[in-house]
Amino acid sequence: MTSHLSASRPLLLRWGPLLALVIALGFPLGAPNAYWVDVGIGILTFGMLGLGLNLVVGYAGLLDLGYAAFYAIGAYTTAILSTAAHLSFWETLPFAIAFSAIAGVIVGYPTLRLRSDYLAIVTLGFGEIVRITATNLGFTGGPNGIYGIPPASIFGYQFVTENSQYYLALAFLLVVLFFTRHLARSRLGRAWLSLREDESASEAVGVPSVRVKLWAYVFGAIFGGFAGAFFAARLSAISPDSFTYTQSVNILIVVVLGGMASFPGVLLGAGVVVGLPEILRFISNWRLFVFALGLIALMLLRPQGLWPAASRAHDPFRNLGPPGDDEDGLARTRAPADPNAPALEVEGLRRRFGGVLAVDDVSFRVDRGQIVSIIGPNGAGKTTVFNCITGVTRPDAGKVELGGRSVRGMQPHDIVGAGLARTFQGIRLFKALPAFENVLVGMYTRQRAGILGSLLHTRSERREERESLRRTRAWLSFVGLEEIAGVKASELAYGDQRRLEIARALASEPDVLLLDEPAAGMNPSEKRDLMGLVRRIRGLGVTVVLIDHDMNLVMGVSDRVVVIDRGRKIAEGTPEEIQHNQQVVDAYLGSDGGDVDDEAVNTWPS
Amino acid sequence: MQYLINGLTIGSFYALVALGYTMIYGIIRLINFAHGDLFMVGAFMGWTVLGVFSATHAPVAVVLMISLLVAMAVVGLLAVGMDRIAYQPLLRASRLSILITALGVSLALENGALILFGAGFDTYPTNLLPTTTFLLGGATVSWVQVGMFTLSLLLMLLLYLFVQHTAVGTAMRALSFDQDAARLMGVNVEGVIMITFLLGGVLAAASGVMMGLYYTQINFLMGFLMGLRAFTAAVLGGIGNIPGAMVGGLLIGVLQSFAAGYISSQWQDVIVFAVLILVLVVKPTGIFGERVVERM
Repeated sequence: MTSHLSASRPLLLRWGPLLALVIALGFPLGAPNAYWVDVGIGILTFGMLGLGLNLVVGYAGLLDLGYAAFYAIGAYTTAILSTAAHLSFWETLPFAIAFSAIAGVIVGYPTLRLRSDYLAIVTLGFGEIVRITATNLGFTGGPNGIYGIPPASIFGYQFVTENSQYYLALAFLLVVLFFTRHLARSRLGRAWLSLREDESASEAVGVPSVRVKLWAYVFGAIFGGFAGAFFAARLSAISPDSFTYTQSVNILIVVVLGGMASFPGVLLGAGVVVGLPEILRFISNWRLFVFALGLIALMLLRPQGLWPAASRAHDPFRNLGPPGDDEDGLARTRAPADPNAPALEVEGLRRRFGGVLAVDDVSFRVDRGQIVSIIGPNGAGKTTVFNCITGVTRPDAGKVELGGRSVRGMQPHDIVGAGLARTFQGIRLFKALPAFENVLVGMYTRQRAGILGSLLHTRSERREERESLRRTRAWLSFVGLEEIAGVKASELAYGDQRRLEIARALASEPDVLLLDEPAAGMNPSEKRDLMGLVRRIRGLGVTVVLIDHDMNLVMGVSDRVVVIDRGRKIAEGTPEEIQHNQQVVDAYLGSDGGDVDDEAVNTWPS
Repeated sequence: MQYLINGLTIGSFYALVALGYTMIYGIIRLINFAHGDLFMVGAFMGWTVLGVFSATHAPVAVVLMISLLVAMAVVGLLAVGMDRIAYQPLLRASRLSILITALGVSLALENGALILFGAGFDTYPTNLLPTTTFLLGGATVSWVQVGMFTLSLLLMLLLYLFVQHTAVGTAMRALSFDQDAARLMGVNVEGVIMITFLLGGVLAAASGVMMGLYYTQINFLMGFLMGLRAFTAAVLGGIGNIPGAMVGGLLIGVLQSFAAGYISSQWQDVIVFAVLILVLVVKPTGIFGERVVERM
């Protein structure tokens, strides 16, 4: 990166928002007529909607094609309460927010286990249901909608002129911006991003995926309803035509065209989606056609959006001060629940996939502070054992105890909370996130900030975030990645990605760490480093269980070795015992293998 | 019974369009939002050709045949063009950006039709088809319904045979499992995707022309509702699954017909969506969908 780039970008970031605010404040004064101020209000409204939907689509990665439904619910709530119950606009606002939040739960709860494409149709269906219901019911005014909604007012001043409504819209947009930014930068926002990147990995490092997704829906709904309430009071009349599927699509275009998970992108997207058709008005019938072609062209030229979110963080630790003795705090200090129980105990574990008994009556125990390896030929069931222990796969039978406490049948994220972390055979990082954010996601289970704390960015939330960042730096330097903390995970070298995955797992402060083929694909010198790393992890007081095919690693680092073949445990013992166990040798080299020396065992096929 | 007959007729139109959704989704994981608009373009093509030939004195059957074939050919090519220009370059980009492109294509087709054909309704000639009917179990069935239903089934059968028994069909199925592996095995991935779009377009056009003949009124926005219902049908059947789309289409048609008949036509879409949501909540992969097992 040239010095020119690194100098100019922070400058733009620092002054850009202020500049945008000045332009937004001055816009009505420079606008040629009231019509353009109206367009400006439209842009601001779509900005609010875009920011809300951005949490759902851009952050959590949930495709929502019925977002206008929440907009509608907010608008109708304000309209009905202010005309029928004669509440003031401000009094209707909490109801609008509450009702849309409830609607968010209603759509979200039953559908969150669906794959994203199914989610798209369900949300689309929900959007249509809301619109058709509003069209056909009496109290919503049917197809004509509701008239005579009083405008918002403060101390007797009514927001009726274009300019006053414009500034009210701007204030509302700033409120939405304020809260959505806090959320996006909180523990919850990071959890959303991790879900977008890789849901199972996210669950496996401790993110309660269903609950976190539900919050994305609820917050998306809240901001949609908020914008809807404003819309009703501004127009004084609403009808179902304002909340069509096309409207949902337009809001989605705002987010994707602008740049997912990018705040300036979304605001720019709102400007383009609302403003461009207005600018094209002079070509009358052709304008939407030209707009559509423009949209296609823009997506072809910039598939990542007009202003994509930054993929690389500029020195994430700049506000922390010098590293000092961060690493000292990494050692395990939590007292075990039952000091006499083994760190991990598996007994009679069994799991069947169709006709295959992948794991058949496997038992082993790992004492506190040990390094234990599980080895076996490919397809022996090693990873399935890990999956049963971590809750990814439900065992059919057997006992899994962590520090004397049963974790069998618990959700993966709860098992992480109980003190067990893992890495994956195929690396599963959150690819689009910088290295340090990968580690921060790993801390999810240990962080305490609640929803309100995140929303308001309270003092205690800020303190926790700062502390988390400090620990992140410590973990990254522990695995030797501190220098490249801001680099996107997918851009890291292969061995670095493996180590980052370990750092992410360690960040959840596990008592037991499961490493699934950590040495796969590493060169000899990287493997040597890995051996040292595994020993240092044990040095922190963490018990390590690892699966690997590399015998130098396994035999060099393990206290005990468990051998699995065809789903059954065939041997267990110290590395020396295993190397000379005839059954083990047979399993690897075929039963007619005769006598075998260490050399042969070291080089078996993996 | 009457509702069942009517429902099956429209359902077969839905099924033809749903097949396009499901095939395209099956191989490139794209919800092609412009697909419903292909159906609309098909209806307009058929209408245009019928208009041209209505001046001549060619036999009705020939005219109908020609307009159907022309519509199928034009829309098939349009679908291929759409794929080449708008989708192929984005196959490696994020799935949402290609989705937005599809929305853009949909908007372009709708507004292109608006420019060419105007905003009002255009009417198919009503004197071409026989109006004879017969009674079946207390319901009136017209020969037109029988003919259209048969034609739809025939097209679906042809598609099914094509996918199951030809080399290209096998390649399509291979692609839906693993695009990269198929490419490594020497499958011309771009070509197969093109053929899929072609087939999807052809079926949608057939559906469009039949819908035009059946309901006589067509409009530049007709593709939207059709797209919505056909997509619902595809998901109901299990998206990516060809027999699923056929069954899903018929089911949606019948469901909608019953809902309109027994409850109210205003609520028919609400009922259709409500059933869809219920089905998905109970069986998240649709009726015929298979569970995708994720590898760790």
